Amino acid sequence: MTIDRRRFITITGSAVSAAILASCNSRGPKAAEKLLKYAERKNESLERSLFRHTAMDETISGSRLAGNALPSYFVSRTVPVWSEETMGPWSLEIGGMVDRPLKLSLQNLIDLPRVHHRVNHYCVEGWTAVEQWTGVSMRELARLVGAHREARYVDFESFDDGYHESWDIESAMHPQTVIAYGLDGHMLGPAHGAPARLYSPVKLGYKNTKYLTRIMFLPQKNGGYWSDRGYEWYGGV
Amino acid sequence: MTAKRHHWIVRLTHWINFVALTIMVGSGLRIFNAYPRFARRGETFCCYPWEGTPIPPKLTFGGWLGGARHWHFAMMWVLVVNGLVYLGFIYLHGEWRDLVPRRGYLRDAWEMIRFYLFVRRDHPVQGKHNALQRGTYFVFPWVGLLAVLTGIAIWKPVQLAPLADLFGGYVWARYWHFVSMMLLVLLSFVHIFMVFAVDPYSIRSMITGGYNPDNSPEARNARPFWHILPNRSRKSEAES
Repeated sequence: MTIDRRRFITITGSAVSAAILASCNSRGPKAAEKLLKYAERKNESLERSLFRHTAMDETISGSRLAGNALPSYFVSRTVPVWSEETMGPWSLEIGGMVDRPLKLSLQNLIDLPRVHHRVNHYCVEGWTAVEQWTGVSMRELARLVGAHREARYVDFESFDDGYHESWDIESAMHPQTVIAYGLDGHMLGPAHGAPARLYSPVKLGYKNTKYLTRIMFLPQKNGGYWSDRGYEWYGGV
Repeated sequence: MTAKRHHWIVRLTHWINFVALTIMVGSGLRIFNAYPRFARRGETFCCYPWEGTPIPPKLTFGGWLGGARHWHFAMMWVLVVNGLVYLGFIYLHGEWRDLVPRRGYLRDAWEMIRFYLFVRRDHPVQGKHNALQRGTYFVFPWVGLLAVLTGIAIWKPVQLAPLADLFGGYVWARYWHFVSMMLLVLLSFVHIFMVFAVDPYSIRSMITGGYNPDNSPEARNARPFWHILPNRSRKSEAES
């Protein structure tokens, strides 16, 4: 059977349109997954080479604090609340590749040099919110425990049902990366990660572990709650 | 008589752009649906009438937010590299002269509009493209550039803060990213409509490169859906 040009165009056209329609609202062809992974790795090394400690987040003049409009989320079924009666006194443990492992109570944290940052929150969903965080700079904490040079990654763990996220050391040591216990001038509430949480504008919201319990300096990546569920591990802005 | 109308690089980059742009728009709309509004939390946004209305999922691609992001951040490289190859080629090879508006552009464009509205009887004399096509194909890369720059701005709003500031900060950069996408989609739909309604013969020229000037809209005096068939009377005149 011969196919003339008109017929060829009709057949190819319908096949292409059908393929396009079939892929709509799907995850796309399986075969593409390797390529997407490859692109993610390349993007990550590009983003890491772009990263500068001098690049600071600044809020637009006239922008309002989000206050109660800041969404709250956690992965447990109910708001994770640290109960002293059943769990004992809360403390933040800092360990891994460090000279002087530490256990800090909330009061210890409050007594350390305090920083305030009025910065943007960049959510993976596309929204932003302006907030003011009060806490201790991660750089200060790394100095305090004597983090090793070989510790290229930091894992931030929580009491929110196993939630944790590991970071590259550059982002963790950015001057705007803090362990925060205050939000918009108040002590952090359970909705936003009390007693203390990680906060930095250089990472997407999901990388900022709330309900902190432990900070571990590590020689390699250790995944994370959302990165293990298919979101980018790097998640940098 | 058939002449080569489009260089193979132009044809190849055209179709790669079609696929890459379709995937970029689809995955971009899926990302948009995760927060289908522009306002910063706790604020309102002046300039988008459909704040909070998601795009119909059928029009999106990627399946879920993370998946759409993977597609978006992979396909952006195809889109940008392909665009640079195309622009570099038409610059070096001279095709840009067919696209850049010439002197008297507005008058030529006005004449085309008059012709399409049946105010003017004869198709204006044109070169490779008519004035409205020129305008469209000239504007398209510029809107594309705006889409790429605003896209980079909202991808790295802290590390490349000056770029985001250039567009008025993250919220506005995200808005202009959306607007430039809408413009690209609009121009593409007009383009596709006109190809089928006025010059279906150009489809062949964008696949094999071949184009018979006797079938050009100018030769056929073609308006949308009018005179879509080749100008047979002229041929018979030539034969007699």
